[in-house]
Amino acid sequence: MPSPLWHDPAVEFLNFIIIFAAGYLVLRHPERERLAFRLLVASSVLMAALFLIGARGSILPGLNY
Amino acid sequence: MKPYTPLTLAVLALVIGPIGIAVFVLGFVHGDSPCVLCWAQRTGMVLIALTGLFVIRFGPRPRYIGLAVLLAAFGIYMGLRHSSLHLWRDVGQGFSAEIFGAHTYTWSMFIYWVSVVMMGALLLMLKDGQAASEARRLRPLERVTLWLFLLAAAGNAVQAFASTGPPPYMGQGDPVRFSFNPAHWVWSLEEWRPAPISLRGRWAIEKPDVGLARADPDGSPLAAVPVLAASRRATIALPLDGPIADLAYNEATDRFLVTTEKGIYITDGALSRVLRHTVVDTMFSVDLARLAAGTFLAPDTVLAVSENKSYVVLRESDRADAVANFRYFLASFDRFEELSRSRFTTVRAKMMYVMAVAFDPGTGSIFTMTVPNAKARRLVVSRFDRRDMTLSEEFTPELAPGSGLAFKAKDGSLDAFYVTGAAFHGGRIYAISAAFGTLLTIDPATRTVTSARAIPGLDRPVGIAIKGAEAFIVDAAGGLTIVPLAP
Repeated sequence: MPSPLWHDPAVEFLNFIIIFAAGYLVLRHPERERLAFRLLVASSVLMAALFLIGARGSILPGLNY
Repeated sequence: MKPYTPLTLAVLALVIGPIGIAVFVLGFVHGDSPCVLCWAQRTGMVLIALTGLFVIRFGPRPRYIGLAVLLAAFGIYMGLRHSSLHLWRDVGQGFSAEIFGAHTYTWSMFIYWVSVVMMGALLLMLKDGQAASEARRLRPLERVTLWLFLLAAAGNAVQAFASTGPPPYMGQGDPVRFSFNPAHWVWSLEEWRPAPISLRGRWAIEKPDVGLARADPDGSPLAAVPVLAASRRATIALPLDGPIADLAYNEATDRFLVTTEKGIYITDGALSRVLRHTVVDTMFSVDLARLAAGTFLAPDTVLAVSENKSYVVLRESDRADAVANFRYFLASFDRFEELSRSRFTTVRAKMMYVMAVAFDPGTGSIFTMTVPNAKARRLVVSRFDRRDMTLSEEFTPELAPGSGLAFKAKDGSLDAFYVTGAAFHGGRIYAISAAFGTLLTIDPATRTVTSARAIPGLDRPVGIAIKGAEAFIVDAAGGLTIVPLAP
């Protein structure tokens, strides 16, 4: 089995932890808005990367063009 | 209604509906487990909901709106990309759970689209100066929404941990049923495996190119193919609009049909004079691309088939309306009427182009044959019913027992043949292959190749017509090789 990209924590579980943390900051620590938003952006990028990894065999929708 | 109430209700609906139901009902109750693409789609919805909560808490700051638009746009792409894996399947088929008649991954397209609509509507309601607001004190409904969001995010984290595992494990293409029992958890690294990156994936099929066919008969997968010598050779010298794509013959009228990439030419029986012709506008309506094959359906009716299995049916007419025909033709507007223009749909030949067509008037059957490509190498004969132009049968011919034919290799096949022309005669399909310069005789009743003959001197032929007891084999430049029909 090829060695996984250990330096890249791109996984769904971790992403939801980030999302939870961002939501918690919005609810309980609104003064940390900047950190919360950065977590939101990081999670968005992570989500997009995960999808593109799964879809790299055919980036475009697999239909007749 | 308070200014933030519509947004709060929208976020609440998103949290309770697609996000909450997905994890607590479909996941924890019914065991539904998202695949790697589903996870990203669901996560995107969670992020849009979270962005909405940012707006509720801090006001509609431009960067929130920008991120929400990006998320929704990517979400629509994800929905299209994922659904495309299954949109072409038969009715009811799909992957995993179905909600109100549609599978979950297709619903996401609608949800992301609604998100865009909601953002537009909320922006319309935004008053000047609201974008610069400070952190707001949450009202009860907003606070409940945020708590429910955290609950949904926590639920998803639990399901994600069980289904996909801790880093570096990630979602799987075909996950197992969700379970709280760790003995059933499968954590996979399959998505990290090196894999080619492609824009169109399996749909990236190169156009057929007869020039790439290996003409040398020695490369044939068949062993000891008998040689069939030409009885004579000639050259077609007609005023055509381009290289020849196919040849057909009608015995009742003693006329040939010469097809070019766009042209339809009816000639005399000596191939010396064009009696009638037209040039088809292949870009009008159905994309005919390049015509690759043609045949007579009746003495006055011809069928031209494109590489992409689109077709046009024309009937000769001396009273054709030239003005009305402007839309169909590029030249000679008053010599044919267009009866139909549509597409043949196949199953086994879906990912391959065709360059040959033959018509059996006895059964009203139209046959097409595939040419191989880099991704799909399979000789498929498709039979369509003339009455509705719909697929009736498909088969991959095998060598007929007792034919004396055999493959050189144990795992040999007919897939390397590049059939560029076909004609129906005496209950057989005569198929000429540009690869190996071989004439194959196929019995559609037994789905077998009953004979094969290597014809020396052929230079990647593109068409074949049967006249009497002879086969007229033509190449793109008009070179004609006439051979006696193989028994």
